[in-house]
Amino acid sequence: MRVVVDPELCQGHTLCNMVAPDIFQLRDDDGHAYVVVDELTAAQEELAQKAAVGCPERAITVTE
Amino acid sequence: MSQPRVEVEFDQHAEAYRASYPAQAHELREQCPVAWSTRHGGFWVVTGHEQLSALSKRPDLLSNDHDPAGDRNGYDGISIPARGTTRGGFIEMDPPEQSEYRRILNPFLSPSAVQRWEPLIADFTGACIDEVIEDGRLDFVDDLANVVPAVLTMAMLGLPLADWVVYCEPAHMQVYTPPDSPNFDTMVELTMQMHQRLAEYVQIRKREPRPGMISALLDARVMGEPLPDADVAGTVSLLIGGGFDTTTSLLAGSLDWLDAHEGDRARLVEDADLLNLATEEFLRHFTPAQGGGRTVTQDCEVAGFEFSEGDRVFMSYAMCNHDPSVFPEPDDVVLDRFPNPHAAFGLGVHRCIGSNLARLGFKHMLRKVLRRMPDYRVDRAGRVQYESIGVINGYQHLPATFTPGAREGAPLAEVMEGWQARLDAEPYESSD
Repeated sequence: MRVVVDPELCQGHTLCNMVAPDIFQLRDDDGHAYVVVDELTAAQEELAQKAAVGCPERAITVTE
Repeated sequence: MSQPRVEVEFDQHAEAYRASYPAQAHELREQCPVAWSTRHGGFWVVTGHEQLSALSKRPDLLSNDHDPAGDRNGYDGISIPARGTTRGGFIEMDPPEQSEYRRILNPFLSPSAVQRWEPLIADFTGACIDEVIEDGRLDFVDDLANVVPAVLTMAMLGLPLADWVVYCEPAHMQVYTPPDSPNFDTMVELTMQMHQRLAEYVQIRKREPRPGMISALLDARVMGEPLPDADVAGTVSLLIGGGFDTTTSLLAGSLDWLDAHEGDRARLVEDADLLNLATEEFLRHFTPAQGGGRTVTQDCEVAGFEFSEGDRVFMSYAMCNHDPSVFPEPDDVVLDRFPNPHAAFGLGVHRCIGSNLARLGFKHMLRKVLRRMPDYRVDRAGRVQYESIGVINGYQHLPATFTPGAREGAPLAEVMEGWQARLDAEPYESSD
């Protein structure tokens, strides 16, 4: 499984980084999120799902 | 099929809203998550989180523009009812113009950029507490929550730190004065004076550049042109409004809550990591910046509702933050609530640009209060909430008593002088 952040939707709320800093990092210039892992481990998948439902902009998707 | 229009008499500035907050949200939402209020000339009031999300993604249909001179569209900006004869910086602009301002200012306000201000926040928080620690009593608003965010804002703007007092009262008055108040004209007058003073500072910065947000705005070129002076001044005014009152209100609301809920206070003291989630929950529950007005740019249907060009819309972040379909037990404060996709900083392209700074300042101040005055008790007789919470859900006064302690650092005046000298010698630049 993978996770993606839609850069068109992300507005830099930073909540994904708060719950899963190993998966989501924040850009220096505007604090918008980007993903730093490729294949998610099972534990990471759970965290990524949490981040997705916790995103105020619904910008995060966990996919095959 | 679009929904039939449901009429209500809702006024976010009214005592009924303040007195029942957040309960009125549920009554309204049950009638209709996007209802038409007949107050203030008529406006849509959005109380459903799903509808707020959909509307926030359409800045093309919902304009923030404020055009008091009628040069473009005559739209009324973000205040309902309309106020002021000047545009309030980039929050009263639409993309792509708005995006340019944010591109210029983001490097000063990103999560990594704001970290460098932590020593200043720490020193001023410590000094404010030192000023009262031997007395065993303070006003959380006057003595701490007003001071630290205001001085920090002055520092980031490159304005004299001691000037925070000049802007403090006008900044608060402009958010807590209801439109029907006898003080409304005084507030408008004070706001205009503040605006004038800031406009003068912008001119000074033109002659004497200094690294910081004002010079960054003045140096910027958009399509080869400098930004208009009036919009630079409006933006500085916006940053003061956003920097002063919001973190202040969040801290006061949270300290008030923790006075009445000792179990939560104990949990925060015991579990330092809990503060991250708790901060988001306080943001959701109190929603310091309660919402914003928009103007519909064309006849359209969004989220199942039909809007007409020129319609006013109040995006109530606060009431959407209490929508039970997204937040179970929405009126409870659940310190470790997650997921918590709250809209306290707004949603979409207008997300609060200072959110990272707000979190940093809030957490630091709250942590220090809990460490240095752990047994504080709010003096409920002296507690004064804003007369209107329709713009900012805040407090004018929140007095408290606690077991006196010992000073830890230098007096506030000395800390102020020290930081002014330090910033004059080496102004902080943006992260890029």
